[in-house]
Amino acid sequence: MMRLLILLLSFLTIPIINAQPQDAIVAPLASKSLLLDITIVNQSTLVAVGERGHILLSHDGEVWQQAKVPVQATLTAVYFFDENRGWAVGHDATILATKDGGLTWQLQQHLPHVQKPLLDVLFTDENNGIAIGAYGLFYRTVDAGEHWTIEYHNEFLFPEDQEYLAELKLQDEKAYLDEQSSILPHFNRVVADGRTLYLVGEIGLIAKSNDFGINWQKFDEIYPGSFYDINRTQQGNLVVVGLRGHIFRSLRNGTPWQESDSHVTALLSAIVLTDDERIFVLGNNGVLLESRDDGSTFTKHLQKDGKPLIAGVWYKNKIIAVSDVGIKTINVMK
Amino acid sequence: MKLNSFFNVVEATLFRRRLAVLIFFILTSIFLLFQASQIKLDAAFTKHIPLNHSYMKTYLEHRENFGGANNVLISVCDTSDDIFNPDFFTALKGVHDKLFFIPGVDRIQVKSLFSPSTRFVEIVEDGFAGGPVIPANFQPDEAGLAIVKGNIEKAGIVGSIVSDDYSCSMVKTSLMEIDPNTGEKLDSIVLAAQLENEIRGEFEKDNISVHIIGFTKMVGDVAKGAKGVVLFFAIAIAITTLMVFWFCRSISLTILPIACSLIAVVWQLGMLSTLGFGLDPMSILVPFLVFAIGVSHGVQMINSISKMVNNGKSSKEAAQASFRVLLVPGGIALLSDTVGFMTLLSIDIGIIRELAITASLGVAMIILTNLVLLPLLVSYMKIPAKKATTNEKVNSGTDGIWHLMSTFATRKVAIFILAFTAVLYIVGYINAQNMKIGELHAGAPSLHEESRYNQDTFLITDKYAISVDYMSIIVETTADACTYYDQMNIIDQFQWRMENVEGVQSAVSLASIAKIVNSGYNEGNPKWRVLSRNQQTLVQSIARVPSSSGLLNSNCSAMPVILFLEDHKAETITRVVDAVKVVSKDLGKDDLVFKLASGPVGVMAATNEAVEAAQIPMMLYVYGAVIILCLLSFRSLRATIAVVVPLYVVSTLAQWLMTALDIGLTVSTLPVIALGVGIGVDYGIYILSTMSVKLRNGATVQSAYFDALKERGSAVLITGVTLAIGVSTWFFSDLKFQVDMGILLTFMFLVNMIAAVLVLPAIAAFLWPERK
Repeated sequence: MMRLLILLLSFLTIPIINAQPQDAIVAPLASKSLLLDITIVNQSTLVAVGERGHILLSHDGEVWQQAKVPVQATLTAVYFFDENRGWAVGHDATILATKDGGLTWQLQQHLPHVQKPLLDVLFTDENNGIAIGAYGLFYRTVDAGEHWTIEYHNEFLFPEDQEYLAELKLQDEKAYLDEQSSILPHFNRVVADGRTLYLVGEIGLIAKSNDFGINWQKFDEIYPGSFYDINRTQQGNLVVVGLRGHIFRSLRNGTPWQESDSHVTALLSAIVLTDDERIFVLGNNGVLLESRDDGSTFTKHLQKDGKPLIAGVWYKNKIIAVSDVGIKTINVMK
Repeated sequence: MKLNSFFNVVEATLFRRRLAVLIFFILTSIFLLFQASQIKLDAAFTKHIPLNHSYMKTYLEHRENFGGANNVLISVCDTSDDIFNPDFFTALKGVHDKLFFIPGVDRIQVKSLFSPSTRFVEIVEDGFAGGPVIPANFQPDEAGLAIVKGNIEKAGIVGSIVSDDYSCSMVKTSLMEIDPNTGEKLDSIVLAAQLENEIRGEFEKDNISVHIIGFTKMVGDVAKGAKGVVLFFAIAIAITTLMVFWFCRSISLTILPIACSLIAVVWQLGMLSTLGFGLDPMSILVPFLVFAIGVSHGVQMINSISKMVNNGKSSKEAAQASFRVLLVPGGIALLSDTVGFMTLLSIDIGIIRELAITASLGVAMIILTNLVLLPLLVSYMKIPAKKATTNEKVNSGTDGIWHLMSTFATRKVAIFILAFTAVLYIVGYINAQNMKIGELHAGAPSLHEESRYNQDTFLITDKYAISVDYMSIIVETTADACTYYDQMNIIDQFQWRMENVEGVQSAVSLASIAKIVNSGYNEGNPKWRVLSRNQQTLVQSIARVPSSSGLLNSNCSAMPVILFLEDHKAETITRVVDAVKVVSKDLGKDDLVFKLASGPVGVMAATNEAVEAAQIPMMLYVYGAVIILCLLSFRSLRATIAVVVPLYVVSTLAQWLMTALDIGLTVSTLPVIALGVGIGVDYGIYILSTMSVKLRNGATVQSAYFDALKERGSAVLITGVTLAIGVSTWFFSDLKFQVDMGILLTFMFLVNMIAAVLVLPAIAAFLWPERK
């Protein structure tokens, strides 16, 4: 009886939270607002996403045009499959899609009651994609985002947690769902390296998958803090960056991870590869690190304003980064 | 007739008992002189703001929680290097401690590197680590300073507590309205002196410079500048005395009107002090006006007396007759001055009301001293007949000029004068439409740009990422509203929309801080810089913000959104206020309203609105009063029109002048219009009072005007010049607003005089039939 009542109550409350999403406001300062991810489409167009449903497009890195977006949620990541088709994800488990290169966007998923953000999105072809986020949030689509279905990747849990969940499922369905929705670590970033996917996240999570994320193999823990980005360098080695200035590197042949000294304690959020074999690492407090030896040593270039550099792309021999004061163009010497 | 017999009785009584009246004047003067010597400079913050304006009600209601607009910012700078040296930290600590113990300083609000609430937070693998920026065991040595430097960066206070270039550090506080030691109103001038002597005086040396800004410091500097007016007053007296002597060629006749006018000033100050008022830096100008008005009426009096003596009367008879002749026009003129000033009472700003009381009191005193005391004193004198003949020679010389001027009252000439006036009026009117409300310049508008205070302001706004021009919009909502996503989200949306308004530099609110704290709880990851929909998480991020931050009250039923503006120009303020009104209508609901406004610019916005709202009623009242007084005294619509139309044209031209000189309509310039009209009407009244008698007896307009010029012409010119001199010394004041007022008043006095001798007869030429 009690359970029925709770169920009834939860049905009553959901519609209230699910109020109709409002269109993002076109604002003069959108390109100076908190922006969280940026990508290059078709070698020419830049697309940046950020707070209040801001999606900005630029063909030169200087003039930015705000796209029409049907939601005001904070968007955390953007991915383009080709020059026309792209997806953006963010808070309220929001998923947006575009078919016209980012000018207009359609809402594919918006679930405020989930109270969790999606933090990255990736497609292997025009139909198959995954979106990942906080507390192990994981959605998959096989129809270009018409439908997204949730997946729980409990393989990232310790064995005792997996047992505990299984037990709970038998005893108390609701408690189990509650626990399931918050027991997994945050998934911060997923990148494709050929047919292999790499996933990084909270509590030192690094994992790879060879079947587009259906099964994951967790790497051995090398660091208890969070990782925010992983990438394969121009020379084919893996670099992963994370909390408090941590950078690790694993050579092509799968040698154990080795730590590179970053000389900083700031959160490192993104890896930017250039076309001239340099590696830049962006971080909080204006941290910009440069490596000319494929990530084994780094020199730091602190940006004077100390603003967090959250994500960036290599564009016309410059770094176009996003920060909490919007777009930042950083000229780096050859 | 009845009125006439009343004046007869007054005249007879006064002059029969002149000794008794004189003794009364002497005793009163002694008493009021003593009272005047007790007068204090007084400048309270609340006097400068329209307390009943809705914005100011919001401001007063929330002042306790969010600190008021009455803040003090002290920037301690190292002029040779950066701040990380032992000398600097010793000085900074000294300033902090000194400020803390100055009575009237709100100690909870004292913030600097040394206050325990200045903390840093650092993210580590298992959560937060943090502490005060200056640790308890701080030693100003190399190691200690290195730690502090690191903490400053982690605390994110560069731009607020530490300047962008690390050469300065800020100590700031709010001031209380009441001095807790005495229980009396905080004396801004005393406090400003303490800041100057005990903080700047003590700590500014060698490589350390101290820059102090804030309303109280400004008032102190204004008061200091206002003291310079004593010199101007002396100069004005000297020049005026020379003018009067040149006019009457008699030392005794010169001294009397000057002395009587000074007595009026003493009486006015004595009365003010007796009534419990102080003298505000702004109303310190009133004694000048009173003196100048007094002299101008005194000149009319001695002009009339010496003319009568020339006609063979004894000085007592002449004095008595002049009293009789001038009591009505002089009284009317002074009464209209008084009424002109009284109309300022309709403006709901303490300082303007005070000005109204001070000025009308002063002018009322002139009625007694210059229309009563002066002729009484003259009646004791023997005016030598010899003087009269020289006067006559001068007069016969001027007759030619008067004759020439009398042609202004013929239609042939008048048509040109009127056409010219009409063109001037139209051009003036069009330009006057561009007159701006409010302050048009950066820095403290009362002071010159190169003053220390304004230089300090520019330094602080330049070196820090803060602006002294900020406005707080108070969000009034239900208790614990900050724990609900929906409510906080509205505040966040409001803030964003306001940030996008041109003129808003940046903004801060509990919502924007809560977002940053939330990202702090998530390892400092900017992707979590959101308001959490989860109530516990939201509460967690708000719990980090103490109510002493000034971003919420104790139960967060009130939260300000603080908008930092690029400047405090009137257009900027209007644009932002209008945007606030639009956005709050869009986003506000029954249980969440956005209330304008607190903070220095909130006060300015209210003041501008009050000034703008007062402008038209004030003009209506002052003209209404002038028209009624003219109608009463002349009993002629034509005469009233002839007096009022030139006045109105001159007021319009004065507005044009304000536009041309970039002088905004403010608390200090608004009263000038009323003063200018009230005093400017004097000339017309004096001229027309003679003219209307002649016209009634059937004279032509030209001959009536000629007679009026002969009788009053030179006195009118002297009056205009005397008044203009009295106020033109303000051009050299240290205070910008005195310069503005000086320019405008000088303009109004001179041009009103010209209009009275030029435009008034021209209008009269068409209003009265042209009989030959």
